[in-house]
Amino acid sequence: MTDKQNNFTQTASTEDIVNLSTFTSVENYDILVLGGGPAGLAAAVSAHENGASVLLIERERRLGGILKQCVHDGFGLLRYKERLTGPEYAQREIDCFLAAEIPYVLESFVVDVRKEGSGYVVCAQSAAGMKAYSCKAIILACGCRERTSRQVFIHGQRSAGIFSAGTAQYFVNIQGKMPTKRCVILGSGDIGLIMARRLTLEGASVVGVYEIKNAPAGLSRNISQCLDDFGIPLHLSTTVTEVLGTQRVEAVAIEKVDTNMNPIPGTREIIECDALILSVGLLPEIELANALDIPIDPATKGPFVDQSLMTQAAGVFACGNVLHVNDLADWVSWSGEIAGENAAKYCRNPRGFFTNKDGCVGGEPVLLQYSKADFLYVVPQYVSSHGPFPLTLFFRSREDVKDKTITLASGGVTLPSEEALQDGKGGGYISKKYRRIIPSEMEALKVKSLGRLGDAVEFRLKME
Amino acid sequence: MANCAFGVICTKKLGSLQNLLARKYPGVECFEFGDSVRLEGTLGDWETIVRCGKFAAKAGFRAVINDVSLKDFTPPPMRTPPVKDNALQGLTPDVLIIGGGVIGCSIARELSRWQLSVLLVDKEDDVAMHASSRNDGMIHPGIASHPGTLRGEYNVRGNAMYDQICKDLSVPFERWGSLILYHERWFGISARFFLGYRSKALGVPGRHLNRRRLEALEPNITKEANGAFEYPTSGILSPYKLTVALAENAVENDVQISLNTVVTGMDVEHGAITAVHTNRGTVRPRVIANAAGCFCDTVAGMAGDRFFSIHPRKGECCILDKNAGPLSQRSMGLIGLAAAFSTSKGGGIMRTIDGNVLVGPDAYEQPLREDFSTNRENLDAVMNKHLQLINGFNRSQVIAYFAGVRAPTYEEDFIIEGSRRVQNLIHAAGIQSPGLASAPAIADEITKLTLSRIGGKILPNPRFNPVRNASPAMAKLSLKEKQELIAKNPEYGVVVCRCEGISKGEIRAAVRSPLPATSLDAVKRRVRPGMGRCQGGFCTPLVAELLQEEGVESITKKGAGSELFVGSLGDKATEVYPDD
Repeated sequence: MTDKQNNFTQTASTEDIVNLSTFTSVENYDILVLGGGPAGLAAAVSAHENGASVLLIERERRLGGILKQCVHDGFGLLRYKERLTGPEYAQREIDCFLAAEIPYVLESFVVDVRKEGSGYVVCAQSAAGMKAYSCKAIILACGCRERTSRQVFIHGQRSAGIFSAGTAQYFVNIQGKMPTKRCVILGSGDIGLIMARRLTLEGASVVGVYEIKNAPAGLSRNISQCLDDFGIPLHLSTTVTEVLGTQRVEAVAIEKVDTNMNPIPGTREIIECDALILSVGLLPEIELANALDIPIDPATKGPFVDQSLMTQAAGVFACGNVLHVNDLADWVSWSGEIAGENAAKYCRNPRGFFTNKDGCVGGEPVLLQYSKADFLYVVPQYVSSHGPFPLTLFFRSREDVKDKTITLASGGVTLPSEEALQDGKGGGYISKKYRRIIPSEMEALKVKSLGRLGDAVEFRLKME
Repeated sequence: MANCAFGVICTKKLGSLQNLLARKYPGVECFEFGDSVRLEGTLGDWETIVRCGKFAAKAGFRAVINDVSLKDFTPPPMRTPPVKDNALQGLTPDVLIIGGGVIGCSIARELSRWQLSVLLVDKEDDVAMHASSRNDGMIHPGIASHPGTLRGEYNVRGNAMYDQICKDLSVPFERWGSLILYHERWFGISARFFLGYRSKALGVPGRHLNRRRLEALEPNITKEANGAFEYPTSGILSPYKLTVALAENAVENDVQISLNTVVTGMDVEHGAITAVHTNRGTVRPRVIANAAGCFCDTVAGMAGDRFFSIHPRKGECCILDKNAGPLSQRSMGLIGLAAAFSTSKGGGIMRTIDGNVLVGPDAYEQPLREDFSTNRENLDAVMNKHLQLINGFNRSQVIAYFAGVRAPTYEEDFIIEGSRRVQNLIHAAGIQSPGLASAPAIADEITKLTLSRIGGKILPNPRFNPVRNASPAMAKLSLKEKQELIAKNPEYGVVVCRCEGISKGEIRAAVRSPLPATSLDAVKRRVRPGMGRCQGGFCTPLVAELLQEEGVESITKKGAGSELFVGSLGDKATEVYPDD
């Protein structure tokens, strides 16, 4: 029966992968980076610079990840202090990666990953055949994917013309194909907003962007630059409930929703269009994390990590959008660097990595507490007073809030800041004042050190 | 049904039915129509019309023709393909099969064993476009049918034939068994007698399981079920993969399949069809097999053999992510008192052959024969009813949902017979559930009927090969076999669909198969890109690109009218929508 239960998996069978002798050769690396987007590229470079031998495995034909199709600008403001387009940003990362002469494989699809001794074995499929690689550490950098029309329970016909925004973006920007002449966009996620502008520029008429929540999901700058500048209306608390048209989309029905997001009777309106473009959220691609039975945070939908960005599986790190969906590529690259550096440290001394002896992570990382009423999530989820530092806590607030102070506390006491500890006068705390925090924009709280604190048993992020 | 040979009896039956109808369904009149009864009138809601038809079906006529119309409703015309040419003009096949569902394709393959020229037409862009791709894929054991019905008989016979068929056609098939679950213990006790009798009468092996034994087999089952009846012959397969495989094998054995071909009329002279008109020319077949699903009564009508009506019964299902797959093993559904007396089986949950979980379907009467839209209330009800059966199932696992329309008659049984009025017409009509399970047995019978109607000595087709030349499926291969295949054709190493792990080589093979896949959905039905959790988000552009490479000029989702791209970049929208 066990056999039967497993026989549907698409991946190589258990017997195949465990029995490494089936492979004519197994390549060895310190670190395998799975994914060649901005997270994976930065992770690979950083791991390489920290002395690890690295192989990067990318499933697509080219490096750069989703940035390849993001021809709009606004990338790199933090990392390069410049406004770059997605492909430009990607190219800088790729150039840096290629300059480091790190080995990589393209169009290679990881079909299985499993623990083998103290390390891991990865099996990848490509035109060159089935290849096995063994490693001490893995960096998951597989990005995210879009929620589908089915996941938001769109009903009616299953006609041509229902596309996720990313797919529409691929059609337009990579393939040069026009998927619509007149469309409705459901969801105000960033890709949806970007596509509203992109499709308008290519001659399509975007009837409107409809958002079921009472606040937009995308960045404010995108609302202003992609919708307002083009006169595209944004309708909040409104959703698409039905698709009409048997072959190609002919119209959609929209309805206003109440505070519980249930349609309000009598508000139904039919809007003629030939496409429904969805931008209803992104989800980390956790297939490989699942294959390794790595615990997933229901809040981020990505793996739980400590501040070294290591998951609950020793030697498996996560960065970029597989960890949590970032709003800026800059943060994605940044987390790649952190993961790469720590993975390299882990490879040098896997045991020491946990024992606080070599100035790396130590103590027991403890689960960071926060109120679910205030925060959607906080990453990393586990924090240790022993580092590594600086630690940056990324969080999203649950509501649109004004004039709030975010502080890090331990055992009920607000933690003093590094400066306060140094000048000995006290008074400074690990806290930051925000004039406004909105759920659609990620915030970062930098913590330089938690030194002299000893092994704290509890950390709490507070919003007051 | 008693053949109504005596006018006196008929008149008496008709009179009493008329009286009863006048009382129960005012406004409905009945008339004799051959040996059937025809209802006329207008009613205000569809369910009453169906109830009225079912009521009349008990009056002892051969069948009911229900022409009662729904107030303020004009049934939409049958959707027809936009193609118009003479591709089939002047053909004189021995057999014309109307309908490319699992029934039509099974018949085509069965007939290809003989030295006959066979033409199969379907109005859609691919085979298995209606009910055959819109069902749960269960090869029912036969326990749900009443003994003495054709549904019961053909189901049991058909079920037994699937091991060989699937082996020959390389269609994955498993007999994981099915469970009829019950909640109330008293129901379990009484159902034991009832189902035990059926088991014996139909020849379906089964056994009773108490809660403890049930738990041992299905550890994740919730307290909703206190016991079950297990039917180990119950099987599962992909109904569209099967239909495509049947069609491909039929083509390999010289059957001609013409898609986008709709029958528009027939010439009948001296009780025989002399010509069949289509949008692609007039065909003059010797025998016509009616396997037209929801439109089988329309086809019968074209031949002047109207004697029954189809009342479209819709159902909706949802599909759960593969990560829910391992939580249950067998197909199962909770049965209550209401379900026990219902004509449909009430749906349930089943692990599909591809490792997902299918939930549903429900069953409701509505007047549209090809409306495959889903709606929130129905799907919510399906989820609420069945997801509670297994610990660990929840709504967030839903990755897809769809609707299908069954084609039952008012007698709620199959019609598998030669026409009594038209010499060269054979019906495989009223094929509803368990049509998939019954298909091989139905094809067998229709083939016998066809051979006898053609008459004379018909020799076996010496070129017939029951084994389909199936292209390799990477998922089924061992590591060594994968290595060898990729070495031979590197495209089998290039993964296009990341959710299902489908390679470029597999997709290209589907496009180049004996029945080429030329639309995204056709590719999806054959090799599954787009059936995973991303629902085609990543692979759609790549599959479209490959179709283009293979010379498919217009990329569509499911045939003409469902084009993916409109115009080109930079075109002005105002040209299409002058009102803006």
